[in-house]
Amino acid sequence: MRTTPALVCLLLIALAAPARATVVVPADLGELARDAIAIARGRVAAINVQWTDDRGTIETIVTLEVESYLKGSFGSELSFRVPGGELGRFRSIVVGAPEFAVGQRVVVFLGARGPTIPFIVGFNQGVYRIVAGESGWMVTPPANVPAAASVRVVRGDVARRPMPLADFEQRVRALGSAR
Amino acid sequence: MKRRAPVALVLALVVAPADPALAYLKFGTTVGGRQVTLKWSQTPVRYFVTNVSVPGVSADDFQAAVGRAFATWHAVPTASIAYQLGGATNAVPGRDDGLSTLGFVSRPDLDRVLAQTSFLVDASTGALVEADIFFNSAFPWSVAPGGDANRFDLESIALHEIGHFNGLGHSALGETELRAGGGRTVLAAEAVMFPIAFAPGSTAGRTLKADDIAGISDLYPASGSAATLGTVSGRVTKNGAGVFGAHVVAFDPATGSMVANFTLNANGQFSIGGLSPGPRVIRVEPLDDAELDSFFDPSRQVDLDFRVAFSDRVVIVPRGGDSGEIAIAVVAK
Repeated sequence: MRTTPALVCLLLIALAAPARATVVVPADLGELARDAIAIARGRVAAINVQWTDDRGTIETIVTLEVESYLKGSFGSELSFRVPGGELGRFRSIVVGAPEFAVGQRVVVFLGARGPTIPFIVGFNQGVYRIVAGESGWMVTPPANVPAAASVRVVRGDVARRPMPLADFEQRVRALGSAR
Repeated sequence: MKRRAPVALVLALVVAPADPALAYLKFGTTVGGRQVTLKWSQTPVRYFVTNVSVPGVSADDFQAAVGRAFATWHAVPTASIAYQLGGATNAVPGRDDGLSTLGFVSRPDLDRVLAQTSFLVDASTGALVEADIFFNSAFPWSVAPGGDANRFDLESIALHEIGHFNGLGHSALGETELRAGGGRTVLAAEAVMFPIAFAPGSTAGRTLKADDIAGISDLYPASGSAATLGTVSGRVTKNGAGVFGAHVVAFDPATGSMVANFTLNANGQFSIGGLSPGPRVIRVEPLDDAELDSFFDPSRQVDLDFRVAFSDRVVIVPRGGDSGEIAIAVVAK
C-alpha cells in the first residue's frame, strides 16, 4: 500500500520534520565548469516549494534573475531545483543541500537532463555566493582551482581567500570553454 | 516566502549549540523552544532492505554489506546501540511510510551524490520516527572484499550513512588534494563521517575512527562509559571577539588519533566530548576548503579569515570530567 504524506501526517499526529544528509564525490572548479550546461550569475528572485512529481518528497524551485552567463544560456530568468523545503505541515531538510534567500547574489553551475527543470551540478559544490568585500565583490567559498601540479589543500593557507568576482568569472569562462 | 523556518531548523539540525557535550556535530531539533538531540529512543532499531539489485551487487549482497556496516557501529564498546533487520520490502527509500528502509534508487540528477539519508521526526517530542537511506544506482557499486578499482565500496558508504541514521552529522577531519590535470581527491580522512568520498576502489571507510567512536559514544553512551571519558572545552577568539565556525581538533600524541568539533556560538565556545583520558594538543583551523552548506546553516557567518593556531600547552583530559576552559587566540591571514 502506498502511504501518502497526508496519511503519515495523521499517523504521526504531530508535525513531522524530515531531514537528509549525503556523501558526495568531490569536484574542482574545472570539473564543475566542464559538467555544467549553463553557468549563471544572478540574484535570487523567488523561491517556491512543491511536492515532487511522484509526491514522494518536497523540493524547492529557485528563480534567478540572470545578470550574466559564464557558459550557455537559459534566458534572462531561469529556475532550478534543490531538494528540501517547507510545505504545509512538512519540512524537508537536506543537510548539505544549498539554501537560498530572495535577494542573494550567486553564481550557480547548472545541469539538466531532458526537458526538466535544471539542477545544481555537484550538489552543494556548484554554488558560489557573492559577498561585498573591502575591494569590491568577492566570491566565496574559496574556489578549488585546477592546479598544474598536484597540490595538497591546506587549511589556513593565506592564499585560500574569497576570490574577486572578476577574477573568478574569468577563470570560470576559461575552464568552461576548455575541452 | 517560507525560507526562514527551514533555515532555523537547519541551524538546529546541524549545530545544536545548546548541548554542552558535543563530541562533534550531532543532529538536533527544537521542541518547545529547547534543543533536543535527535537519536533513537529505543533499541534495537528496526530496519528493512529493498530487494533491488544493481550490476555487481545482488539483493543478498546488499543486505549482507549493510548488515556488516550496522554491526560495526553496534560493536563500539563505549556505545550502546543495536539494530534488527526486519526483512526485505518493496518500499522505496525516501518515502514517509513509517519504515526505515535502505536500498538502491536511480538519481542521475544528483550527479555527485553517492547516497543520502533522510529522517522523519516527531516535532512534538523530537523523537526519531523513521530513517531511510538510498544509494544512488547511477554510480557503480561493489561488495568485493578487497574493493574494486572502478566501483564505490558499498560497505564504506553504508557505514557513513548509518552514522547519519544514528543521528551523527558530518566531520571535517579529512584532507583533499587538487590533482595535476584536474580533479579533487581525498588524501586521508580521520572520520568515516567526513562528507567527501574516497576514490572508487577504496575500502578505507569500512573502519570507524576515533572521531566516529567519540560521536556514537556521546550519543548512545554505554553503561558506565560517561565516568571513563572526558571533555575538552574552551573558546577561540580573534582580536578579542569570539570566532564562529572554527574547526577545533584534539590530537592525541600517544595514539595519533583525532577528535574534533567546531566553535558553535558567537562567543567562540567549543566542547569536544567522548574523549579517552590523557594529554591532547589542540589545533584550531578555518574551514576554508569545504562546502560550508555541509556543516552550517548558510545564514551564519562562518569566519574563514584566520591562520592555524595551537593551544599554548598540552591539555589534559580528565577521566569523567572537563579540561577547564582552553583559550586560543587566532590572527587574520
